[in-house]
Amino acid sequence: MAAAIEARAPDARADATTAFDPAGRRRRTWSRYRFWETATPYLFVAPVLAIVGVFIYWPLLYSIYLSFFDWNFVSPVKEFVGFDNFLRLADDPRFHRALWGTLIYIVALVPAQVFVPLGLALLLWPIRRSRAQAVYRATLFSPTVISFSVAALLWLWIFNPLQGILNKALFEFGFAKVSWLSNPNTAIWCVIVVSIWKTIGFNLLLYLAALEAVPNDYIEAASLDGATDWQLFRLIRFPLITPTFFFVLVTTIISVNDEVFGAINVMTDGGPFDRSSNIVYYLYEQGFRVFQIGSASAVSLIIFVGTAILTWVQFRYVERHVHYG
Amino acid sequence: MASLTAPRTHGRAAGSTRLSRRLGRGAVHMLVILLCAITLFPMLWMLSTSFKIPSEVFTRDIQILPHTPTLSNFPDAFQYFPVANWFWNSVLIAVVTTAGKLAISVPAGFAFARLRFRGNNVCFAAVLGTMIVPAVVTYVPNYVLVSRLDWINTNAGVIVPSLAHCAFYIFLIRQYVRTLPQEILDAAKIDGATTARTLWHIVLPNIRPAIAVVTILSFLHSWNQYTWPLLVLDDMKSKTLAVGMQVFASNSESAQLWGPMMATAVLAILPPLLIYVFAQKQIISTFVTSGMKG
Repeated sequence: MAAAIEARAPDARADATTAFDPAGRRRRTWSRYRFWETATPYLFVAPVLAIVGVFIYWPLLYSIYLSFFDWNFVSPVKEFVGFDNFLRLADDPRFHRALWGTLIYIVALVPAQVFVPLGLALLLWPIRRSRAQAVYRATLFSPTVISFSVAALLWLWIFNPLQGILNKALFEFGFAKVSWLSNPNTAIWCVIVVSIWKTIGFNLLLYLAALEAVPNDYIEAASLDGATDWQLFRLIRFPLITPTFFFVLVTTIISVNDEVFGAINVMTDGGPFDRSSNIVYYLYEQGFRVFQIGSASAVSLIIFVGTAILTWVQFRYVERHVHYG
Repeated sequence: MASLTAPRTHGRAAGSTRLSRRLGRGAVHMLVILLCAITLFPMLWMLSTSFKIPSEVFTRDIQILPHTPTLSNFPDAFQYFPVANWFWNSVLIAVVTTAGKLAISVPAGFAFARLRFRGNNVCFAAVLGTMIVPAVVTYVPNYVLVSRLDWINTNAGVIVPSLAHCAFYIFLIRQYVRTLPQEILDAAKIDGATTARTLWHIVLPNIRPAIAVVTILSFLHSWNQYTWPLLVLDDMKSKTLAVGMQVFASNSESAQLWGPMMATAVLAILPPLLIYVFAQKQIISTFVTSGMKG
């Protein structure tokens, strides 16, 4: 349709504006007009293509290239080492601990960010029309708009071993003070708490919007037939909100380890003994603390492949099992 | 008879469920209010600490509110570290990044939505494809590039590479332009407007809601971004608030500066929270849309 109009429109314009011009000038104006009209779409998309090419696609290719070299960022020579960077990762206990941390973040944060907000959304659902719910929703969502690093600093003050309010409160109730962030067993959980605090409202919101989209007729019909609340959820609501559920699930798995980087760097520096580190923090250390550019690039490729696989799973496998209401 | 009794039992059943429901709702409200309190607590605690004098920060027992509220933590923070520079850098980076993303995204979104040209679909796929590339993957090569350009410790070093992360905004604008009636674009064409004029005079005024959404999202995102500025901005004066604040915690001499640190946190949180308070409805619906993109 657009093409048809586009083909006709320039004639109309030429007739209207150049009807009294000499023939030659009309032709020149016409051809210049044609040229610019053909070029305009390309001019419109050129900036984004250029910037995306330079700062996303080129880096991706250059990462692949760099992962086969040994380079410390300043040296003029890059030494080709084949797959050594990958093999060295396989042998590096610090990388293993980072992978283990990556797994813990996923295992701890997926239930907390996927299932807890779902439960909350179901709790808030019956009071959806009240003003109270709007206030709750706005409050629970508010940490989403602030920076992860600043959020981590607020919690750093709460977790502070000597002056933090958490330890003061524990002390009041007769408990011993805990060095939350320098204890290898608790450090990672502090990061996890910050992450839950920061993101729970966001997923809650997505679920509430999804529940809103479930047709009320279905719910009413099933209630009249005597369905219990659990049956309503299991047989009607959940199947109808599965697209949102899987979206939340997959994006959470993909993004948690990226998100917690700020909190790790502010609160624990990956420590103690790499116990709160993860793959993104390991990349940061390799690339920007010890300047092992080759191994940092190898790690970034591993992250890219992992993300690509998860995205593929979402598109291929998960979407097939999803009901679109 | 049956018709008389039936409603009564029905009514009783409804009454009892109503009661239990009311009790249940009471419990729900209690639980959710507790969660809201936990959510707000770190921010309120920040606010309280930022108005406390040092002797009230370091007490043995818990002191919720400052007894002698003071504003001195704010000028103090500016004295210990170049907080004014950080604030200015944050503002500049957020504003310029947002303007740049709009300048790139609006024409591209319009072109992808309504213009026909060879390679349209390939170009659009190339743009959308960037969404599956995690930003961390690009950091090392981009750092190499930015240092070659001598952009380390400059705002440009943060802003220019960040502009590449605009695929979602282009997608949003494209979707919005597609909802405009083709007739108004055709009318412009017939009246002799070039494509560029059509974009400026017809499309732009009609996609204001989408532009507002992109502006808000992009501003919040650039204001809050952490990892990339952390890498590029090493010099103390060149940092942004989100990055710079950390020195309050990591610098051992400043480990006791909780008052000024929380005052700086107030500055870092205030702009996004104000935007949130004033544009709450829009932000919430925007985030819902952005979450639904999958």
